[in-house]
Amino acid sequence: MKVRKRMIVLFLLPASILYLVFFLIPAVWAFYFSLFDWSGFAESRTFIGLGNFREILGDDLFWSSFKNTMRILFLGGVVTLGIAFIMTLLFSSKIRGKKFFRAVIFLPNVIATIALTTLWAFIYNPKFGLLTNFFKLLGFEDLSKILWTSQERIFYAMLVAMIWIEVGFMAILLLAGADKIPFDFYDAAKIEGANALQMFIHLTIPLMWDVITIAFVFWSIWALKVFEFPYAFYGIDTPTEIYTVGIYLYIVGFGKRAPIYRLGYATAIGVVLLLFVIVVVVALRRMMRREVYQY
Amino acid sequence: MTATRRSTIPQKLKKWASLTPTYVLLGLWSLFTLFSILWVISSSFKTNRELFTTVWTLPKAFDFSGYITAWTAVKMGQYTLNSVLVVLVSVVIILFLSAPVSYILTRVKFRGSGLILLAFIAGIGIPVQLLYIPLFFILTGFQVINTLWGLGILYVSLSIPFTVFILSGFFASLPVELEEAAIIDGCSDFQVYWKVMLPLASPGLITATIFNFIFLWNEYQIALVFINNPDLRTLSLGLYALSNSMQYSGDWVGLMAGVVIVMVPTIILYIFLSEKMISGITMGSVKS
Repeated sequence: MKVRKRMIVLFLLPASILYLVFFLIPAVWAFYFSLFDWSGFAESRTFIGLGNFREILGDDLFWSSFKNTMRILFLGGVVTLGIAFIMTLLFSSKIRGKKFFRAVIFLPNVIATIALTTLWAFIYNPKFGLLTNFFKLLGFEDLSKILWTSQERIFYAMLVAMIWIEVGFMAILLLAGADKIPFDFYDAAKIEGANALQMFIHLTIPLMWDVITIAFVFWSIWALKVFEFPYAFYGIDTPTEIYTVGIYLYIVGFGKRAPIYRLGYATAIGVVLLLFVIVVVVALRRMMRREVYQY
Repeated sequence: MTATRRSTIPQKLKKWASLTPTYVLLGLWSLFTLFSILWVISSSFKTNRELFTTVWTLPKAFDFSGYITAWTAVKMGQYTLNSVLVVLVSVVIILFLSAPVSYILTRVKFRGSGLILLAFIAGIGIPVQLLYIPLFFILTGFQVINTLWGLGILYVSLSIPFTVFILSGFFASLPVELEEAAIIDGCSDFQVYWKVMLPLASPGLITATIFNFIFLWNEYQIALVFINNPDLRTLSLGLYALSNSMQYSGDWVGLMAGVVIVMVPTIILYIFLSEKMISGITMGSVKS
């Protein structure tokens, strides 16, 4: 028994130390940092209590970034998970080349984000981009002249690209859940006279409820902290139209070409972001709670 | 015989007809993805002039000037070395740290084990941006700020939650009888882990390793924040720098070549290991 205790400690200790020092402690420390007015790494800090949070309330740029993050979370979520569901439904009919399709749909997820933003920059390029040329090829002159990355369109242009990437991940996640359902269940349902859609709604969805919950949670966490794709989507100066909360935090903390170093304020934004993650995940878990069928 | 054949042909036709929309939808989606990627590769061998005038055709002659620009404009060779070093070492260490944790917390029941597991996995929900500034000070304190060591430490610690999440799912799914049999055979606790459970969990270990490799190879956010020295950039961060400078100078071919250099290792890995990767995604998530 003593040996076992020693083993438990030995097995947990190395990872725990790293995880504590470089993950949990900084997370807790951030709450403390967020209470200071603190600009520049060399400057001294002044305690201002909840002052940073009060400033966030009136910060237009924060709220427009927040709105974008919410649009990614909800609009992006509905479309991405919707398409992923349709794909799961399509895959559940016995088709040939299932593995091939599955692998290709997931493919963007293994490619560096900058490679993907570069690809999409070229797709949307107004002069020689793929989209412009595609519409020219089909003879749609009007469509070919549209500037896809204009101020009012750039967010949706970016969202489409992100959906293309994330559908792959979500589809594979859902599909693997659907594949776990034994075939006899479907055979039995077929004998009862159920059609494909009925089977999907009354059989597939309830039986893969736990995987659906995980997909929702993953999506929410991913969407709330998304940084890399929007940050690099439009070259060196990310336009504010596609700022997410994560990007705004980085800009406030480290600046782009001109450093800002508002360390306390940036950390306060991070605290708000974490609170949102917690709220969304807890809400999701409550909403999604229902009896999980054992089979 | 003929009677049955007569009835099956229309049935087959009907089946094909009902599956057509499926093939069309999945086919178009896949076509777009494959075309985009092949198009980037093909563009990287063009000249800039060719790229702007003939978008749809293959390169007339293989022109490697894009690769030469990409390789020399920024230190792609150096960045590749940095990435290989940091990512490979990190991936191995992540596994060495996370496997024991996942094993002990799922297979050896003790007071608080569930809570500790939850604490490890909860890290998935903490936005990395929250940690930027505290980490800046911690890394400075350890004097590893702006070094590959520091970046590696962050890569390891920030990957622990997801890795523990995947691995604990694998360990939890292994049957108890195997452990019991090993103990009866006279294995010590450690031997049970090392000789019995770890090999059994190897599909999970492989999945986690592939995921961590691909994720860390592609990530640039953490490197952007914590690496200032241009010599220490990872390949992905180097590509970010390259894309900024190339989009200014309009050298798209050079940029495409840079993209291909970064993309190829993970795509090759993926071609060989996609089955293992995809099958591993839910193994972890379904069980936890």
